Amino acid sequence: MQKQDIAHLAQEAKKSIQSAKTAAELEALRVRFIGRKDGEVTKLMKQLPALSVEDRRTVGPALNALKNEVEQLLTARVKDLADEADRRQAIDVTMPGKKVATGHLHPLTLVEREIRDVFKAMNFSVVEGPEVESEHYNFDALNIPANHPARDMWDTFWLATSDKRQATSKKNNMSHVADRLLLRTHTSPVQIRYMEQHQPPFQIVVPGRVFRYEATDASHEINFYQVEGLMVGKDVTLANFKFVIGEFFKRLFKKDVSIRLRPSYFPFVEPGLDVDVECVKCGGKGCNICKDSGWLEVMGAGMVHPHVFEAAGYGPHEYQGFAFGLGLERIAMIKYNIPDIRLFYSGDLRFIKQF
Amino acid sequence: MKFSFSLIKRIAPGSYGKEELVERLNLHSFEAVDLGGDVLEIAVTPNRFADAASHIGIAREAAAIFNLPFSDPAEKAPKYAYRDQGVFRVNIKNSKLCRRYMAAYVDGVSVKKTPEWMKGVLESCGLRSINAVVDIMNYVMLEVGQPLHAFDAEKVSGGLTVRNAKKGEKIETIDNQKFTLDSDVLVIADADKPLAIAGIKGGKSSEVTLGTKHLLVEAAHFDSTHIYATSRRLGLQTDASARFAHALSPALVERGMNRALQLLQEIVGAKAHRPADDYPRPQSKEILPFSATAMQRLLGEHVTADGAARLLKKLGFAIRGKKIEVPLVRTDVSDVEDIAEEVARMKGYAALTAQPPHVALGVASEDELIEFKDQIRDFLTGVGYSETYNYSLVAESDCSRSPAIIRSRDGKVIHLANPMSAEIAVLRDSLAAGLVKNLKSNKRFFDAVRVFEIGHVFQELQGKVSEKTVLGMAIAAPEGFFEVKGIVDMLLKRLGVTDYTLAPFDNADGYLKPLGALTIEIGRKSVGYIGSLASLEGGLMELDLGMLLAETDEEREYAPIAKYPAIERDLSFLVDQSVRVGEILALMQGAGVHLVEDVDLVDWYQDEKLGDHMKSLTFRIVFRADDRTLTDAEVDKEMAAITKAVVDKFDVELR
Repeated sequence: MQKQDIAHLAQEAKKSIQSAKTAAELEALRVRFIGRKDGEVTKLMKQLPALSVEDRRTVGPALNALKNEVEQLLTARVKDLADEADRRQAIDVTMPGKKVATGHLHPLTLVEREIRDVFKAMNFSVVEGPEVESEHYNFDALNIPANHPARDMWDTFWLATSDKRQATSKKNNMSHVADRLLLRTHTSPVQIRYMEQHQPPFQIVVPGRVFRYEATDASHEINFYQVEGLMVGKDVTLANFKFVIGEFFKRLFKKDVSIRLRPSYFPFVEPGLDVDVECVKCGGKGCNICKDSGWLEVMGAGMVHPHVFEAAGYGPHEYQGFAFGLGLERIAMIKYNIPDIRLFYSGDLRFIKQF
Repeated sequence: MKFSFSLIKRIAPGSYGKEELVERLNLHSFEAVDLGGDVLEIAVTPNRFADAASHIGIAREAAAIFNLPFSDPAEKAPKYAYRDQGVFRVNIKNSKLCRRYMAAYVDGVSVKKTPEWMKGVLESCGLRSINAVVDIMNYVMLEVGQPLHAFDAEKVSGGLTVRNAKKGEKIETIDNQKFTLDSDVLVIADADKPLAIAGIKGGKSSEVTLGTKHLLVEAAHFDSTHIYATSRRLGLQTDASARFAHALSPALVERGMNRALQLLQEIVGAKAHRPADDYPRPQSKEILPFSATAMQRLLGEHVTADGAARLLKKLGFAIRGKKIEVPLVRTDVSDVEDIAEEVARMKGYAALTAQPPHVALGVASEDELIEFKDQIRDFLTGVGYSETYNYSLVAESDCSRSPAIIRSRDGKVIHLANPMSAEIAVLRDSLAAGLVKNLKSNKRFFDAVRVFEIGHVFQELQGKVSEKTVLGMAIAAPEGFFEVKGIVDMLLKRLGVTDYTLAPFDNADGYLKPLGALTIEIGRKSVGYIGSLASLEGGLMELDLGMLLAETDEEREYAPIAKYPAIERDLSFLVDQSVRVGEILALMQGAGVHLVEDVDLVDWYQDEKLGDHMKSLTFRIVFRADDRTLTDAEVDKEMAAITKAVVDKFDVELR
């Protein structure tokens, strides 16, 4: 056995391994060269004992080196082939991402949550009330007597039910029959309900669904949402209202929007106010959203009327505070640029899935 | 309410323009809009009709805002041609509904043309010119705020009586409508017949015509709630009734009469007698404490007595030391808050400095149900469901169709007393109708539709309104029922409901397939249902959130993560298809073995080869011990016990 033969075999192995194209070919080459039984290198190794001591000393290490080299070449080639295959089958990372189906919250839920969060950050608690109300809570206790034109501000759905609730007026400490039931026209009845159960100081917001007997159009619906606010204490002032509501709108619209208070009238407050915010679209310059006025009317408010405190069972002039109410749809329409209130109740997922 | 800008300016002369007036009224008084030309639309609030639903009232506001002189045209008493009141009497029979009745006998009238300036004002305010006498009555109403009426005196027999109508009495009004009255209606009558429906509309019989020579001019004050209710009951709403329905002041009566007699003299050459004035209980002056401190306390900013007094005087208030006298026409002012409002709005709310409130720190909280609803919304959107809001008002045919689980079978649908249309005539008793509609309307645009809603549902139960907060969820997709069932399981666990059962019930109602429904029960109470939809391929679920909230337990406790491996074994068999998987699962779980961690159905099928009534089921049973690695022998023993239980109970063919 000549050194040349070994060198020749090494060359042969190297050549065939490099040119192999598949894992199967490589396995065949492994068997051919270093297979346990009939590998060419193995066979040569088996002949070693027949060699002279001197030859064994040189040929032995050479064969071992050859065997190691073949193993390394095979391993390297296997890896190369695998890499090549991976490259050929590589994913096209420029393809669009997979669309995983997720659900969407209704835009009114989103806006309600934002509003709740802003008020919670200012230490307001959040409470709710029933949608079916008595005439007492919806009107009388809020200083809106029957047969008064002020009632015309709230077109009402009345219920045809035999449920006659006995409303107790704490003011006169007598039970009187303000018993007709209706779908609440505003969230303000919860003011009375809450005050009957709690003593000031407190501050709450009340989100909820309300109803109006009104023909529907792009800005009117038979049901819609309000958020009522009420803060009462010994010394809660109108200036406090201006602060709280200014902060609220800044946080809600995430800009330094100005607010404007104008005189208005709601029977359950005195003084009564309308609140405008600077148009968030045009920044007050005038646009189609604000009808070129630069302002958006977003809220009714005022200092709680003494009659309301009395109806809730507080002593006259014992406490003072402010109340306000805003329409959730109106805020959502401004925030998201939604043109028609009826979209909120369409159940159309092409609308809802945008939020 | 429409106003003439030129008339306002005549009463409160100054250099201000229309645009400026509109802007300042908005900031200090009322919402106002320029309608072009001479016309302003001013939204006089219901509490201010007595003083401000008039040109004099708006001019007074303007004069106060711009700090201008103000000349009140209704203050001057007219010149009377006669010292007496003439040959008629006035008699108020119902002084509760009529606090003041003034009437003046006027002769020498020649009904001429209305002067152009007056026609212009009427036109700006949307009134048609009729004849000089009627126009003067209307003009005074616009200028002073007091509705007036003129009778042709020759068509009146005897005096004027303010009384309730006799049942069955008839009247034809000026606009030729005929009414048969009942005793709840207040009328102005002569000796024979009703001449006018008080405060609402004059009668045909005593109408002023071009030939009228003698007038009886009426100015009166009627009870506002009576006028409000009566005009609605009769379906007769007029300019006069709209004004009388608000709390006007009896003081306006005299002002209106003065102004009317002045103008009648000037324009139609009338000679007036002194008016008769029946005013049994004159309006008393409202005197309130005047305190800068009290105003400051409410408004939260510095108020000086002098500054406040200066603003209030311009509005006609009189300050006497520590008291303030309210003008009679300010029927809206009765308390310190009202005075503070006058000061604040005249200063302008822009001048008010925002002040952070001083509050004791309390814990802000949310109603439990609110947090609960939030949790549910977040979970359901996370698993692919979108939220819809449907109407609370539905058609009657949308009710009484959902399974009688949350809805009571004994409950009644609640109808509106004044429905707008049949489609929205009743209160929904379930969320199902809305959700099923959502599925159908969205199916055109999406392969699978997944929706949920949280809302209130209503029923009348034993004479009481029951209002519940309900979660509804619906899916239109293959295997939708099982998806909903799986999600209910995950949702309940997420909400901390650990122990609930699902029980099949035979549903005979509208939305679901027969034998296609389960009730969700917690401790023997049904809190909701899951069903397979009948009208399309999909599932439906409703849960009573109020009941559910009462059953949840938010406290969670950590359970150690398993240290030892689990061993899984499958058990396959054929069984009659009437046998329900739920029963088999229950049996396996309760077969008296302790090492079962979980049992799940991993495969089922039915085909012809299995024969008519058989189905093939494969269950995977997971065994684990928390203190050791199980041996095959142990698991074999457990498996044998489970298999025996199944074989004993059901007629199965093991595979």
